[in-house]
Amino acid sequence: MSALTFTLKTAPAPVQRIDCSPLTSDALAEKSLNDIAAIKLQTGNTTVRADSLFDISGDDVTNIVFANSSDKLDFVGHSMTTGKITVEGNVGAYFGIFMYGGELEITGDTGIYTACEMKSGQIKINGNAGDFVGGARPGRKNGMAGGTVIITGNSGDRTGDHMRRGMILIEGNAGDYCAARMVSGTIAVLGDTGAHLGYAMKRGTVLLTQTPSRGISANFNDCGSHTLAFLPLLFASFAKLDSKFAQLESFSRVQRYAGDLAGIGMGEILVKI
Amino acid sequence: MIINGVTIDPTFAEAFPMKGTRIIITAHNTKWAMISAQAFTGFATSVIACGCEAGIERELDPSETPDGRHGVAVLIFAMGGKGLAKQVETRAGQCVLTSPTSALFAGVEGETEMALGQNLRFFGDGFQISKMIDGKRYWRIPVMDGEFLTQEKTGVVSSVGGGNFLVLAQSQAQALVACEAAIEQMRKIPNVIMPFPGGVVRSGSKVGSKYKALNASTNDAFCPTLKGQTKSDLSPEVESVMEIVIDGLSKEDIDKAMRVGIQAVCDLGAEHGIRRISAGNYGGKLGPFHFHLQEIMA
Repeated sequence: MSALTFTLKTAPAPVQRIDCSPLTSDALAEKSLNDIAAIKLQTGNTTVRADSLFDISGDDVTNIVFANSSDKLDFVGHSMTTGKITVEGNVGAYFGIFMYGGELEITGDTGIYTACEMKSGQIKINGNAGDFVGGARPGRKNGMAGGTVIITGNSGDRTGDHMRRGMILIEGNAGDYCAARMVSGTIAVLGDTGAHLGYAMKRGTVLLTQTPSRGISANFNDCGSHTLAFLPLLFASFAKLDSKFAQLESFSRVQRYAGDLAGIGMGEILVKI
Repeated sequence: MIINGVTIDPTFAEAFPMKGTRIIITAHNTKWAMISAQAFTGFATSVIACGCEAGIERELDPSETPDGRHGVAVLIFAMGGKGLAKQVETRAGQCVLTSPTSALFAGVEGETEMALGQNLRFFGDGFQISKMIDGKRYWRIPVMDGEFLTQEKTGVVSSVGGGNFLVLAQSQAQALVACEAAIEQMRKIPNVIMPFPGGVVRSGSKVGSKYKALNASTNDAFCPTLKGQTKSDLSPEVESVMEIVIDGLSKEDIDKAMRVGIQAVCDLGAEHGIRRISAGNYGGKLGPFHFHLQEIMA
């Protein structure tokens, strides 16, 4: 069996955004290639057949590839519970929204709301991620509630907004308002972080390997330097990941900052020392 | 059956189903992990009055522990899951949480799970922090020496308690030496503990008593000073009897431990005053697990 491949047609290039949520292993199970070709996809204010947008080949619905992808493709991996989706190129908004399991990987960049309200599974972005990674939909209070997101590049602003559980691992830099309104979970950043780190953070952990160039907010109090026993376990859990975090030398000595003290102040920023 | 001049009685040990778990205690070094483990397993020789039976299984290298520190594996058994959970919680709270530099982890996956540090977290008074790592929940509880890290749950395993054998010797000193030799070998077997002091019991009991308040009393048939007063099971040359009780995560584990223990005793043999190996049972009516000595040593 070969991977079920959706190659985005370049002529005509898509003008409107395309809702790819019907193209997951769960939704395509036991469908023939003809059935898949006839699936109606929302694009702009109309619906069109999948084969009018994509050249479709292959037959393994548990291994889906979006080739020649563009940032017009939204909702890739929507609610998926199993299988693997690989995106070659960039992708649009809501990559992995409501994801319950399986694996998503992209060679390029993602748009806004990657891993939005994700529950489980793993997303690997071999590029940069847009704003609101692991966040909640506008007006919602509960963001990502489980799973792992790996970003080899940089993440946008408000990474982990309203995040409740799970892990976001950023090998590059995080934008402004990282961990804002975070409820729980873990965000680790190997690079720098932007302004207002941990703004309105309730609980959860931000783990940094370097002191942020913009400093720590005055709403976070310095709790001193400590050896924390859970960190070796956390690093051990990184070992199986295809990420720089797997090669990261384990450390347990950190400077601990607690905040945001304008709220309940139970969050923490841990900086390697 | 006679091994090296030691008679193996045609009898069996009778054992009971128990619920058990393994926990791993780690600390700054082996010394403090062991201190914590010894406290945790204190007053846990017999379910008759202790509520559980617990013992140290072995020391663990840093490579074998979840947090990469020195550790100790502990096994604890009780007659039921609820009783086990209560014992684990109170002992962990008073003996591990309190012990400097300690951390506490599950050491076994079982058919079911029970709380390990799940309720200890409330000691954190709201400052406790939960961490999900690799699908397991841990609690970080702030304490005066830093942070106490504990896994939330541990596995519960259907286990076997009360495997035993008796060492009948010509003198007290010879019985003790033989039992020490047996325990040394039995401690190399995984998944078992010998919960009594030093692994050896000198006061084996029978069911019932002439006193209504007691449900167990001295095993007079094996008390050498009563040879002329009761229906004794001892021959004239036997002057001392000691017992080794074994709890294990499975019947097979106890089989192995009994085999190496009895063999160690028999290796000393009659020339060191060992006369017989026997076992304690209740006629086979109470416990579903029977360990026939001659089958084990065959």
